[in-house]
Amino acid sequence: MKDTIAIVHGPNLNMLGLREISIYGGESMQDVNDMIAATAAKLDIKVEFFQSNFEGELVTFIQQCRGRVKGVVLNAGAHTHYSIALRDAITAAQVDVMEVHISNIFKRESFRHVSVIGPVCVGQICGFGSYGYILGLKGLLAERLPAWQ
Amino acid sequence: MNQTRYLCLSGPNLNLLGDRDISIYQHGSLDNIHTHLQQRAADLGEAIDCLQFNHEGDLIDAIQEATKTYAGIIINAGALAHYSYSLRSAIGSCMLPCVEVFISNVHGREEFRHESVLASVCWGVIGGLGKNSYLLALDALHHHTNMR
Repeated sequence: MKDTIAIVHGPNLNMLGLREISIYGGESMQDVNDMIAATAAKLDIKVEFFQSNFEGELVTFIQQCRGRVKGVVLNAGAHTHYSIALRDAITAAQVDVMEVHISNIFKRESFRHVSVIGPVCVGQICGFGSYGYILGLKGLLAERLPAWQ
Repeated sequence: MNQTRYLCLSGPNLNLLGDRDISIYQHGSLDNIHTHLQQRAADLGEAIDCLQFNHEGDLIDAIQEATKTYAGIIINAGALAHYSYSLRSAIGSCMLPCVEVFISNVHGREEFRHESVLASVCWGVIGGLGKNSYLLALDALHHHTNMR
């Protein structure tokens, strides 16, 4: 059976391509998901997508990743900076979670420099635009990908 | 056209990789990381030069010189990441895409390691993935070069 990676987008990421294009780029969330799906097909893995503006839905989804998926690429949006509940869900899920941000959060307001989920994620990737999701996907699969397609 | 070349710079104490606290830095030396990077760059039809310095000034000189030769920089400044404003200025003025990498997940470590003074002048940051932080940084630079 193919490994599954969950791609999780937090609040306001459904507005990609419509909001603050100078920061987040002109692609829609669907464009980004299509790019991820095309890479996943090349890497011969399964991906599933989830977006919610509700913290509780994100918590429930992450909990349900336990034992079900190989890893999670998570752009928690602004929840990155204050959602202890999401952090606890990541710990409880016992699954590798890669924290991804489209923008370089360190170039922005100081409240975005702190990630409360960072310490319980396997790694953090930020600043590469939507390509950060691809880097996150490859990072979760790195040990299986000697050829680094 | 000349072959695309990247520069990988490592800062103080990273020459001790593999000898240091292996619970944090995993097994494997810096030479081992450099070998992986060079192999991966060759697979992409590109090249990468890998240098390590314990001296801040050497890193600054290398960055100032880099624009003549390189299409991008990967930098793991080690502890300098947290306080070297002169390194920050060198990166900020070099006009090359610069990717900051950390081997460990700095967010899981001491508070003083949470802040990088370099991150805001870099294109992006990758941390926590051991040697794969470097390989992903190369992937990002390759993507950047070929998207232009």
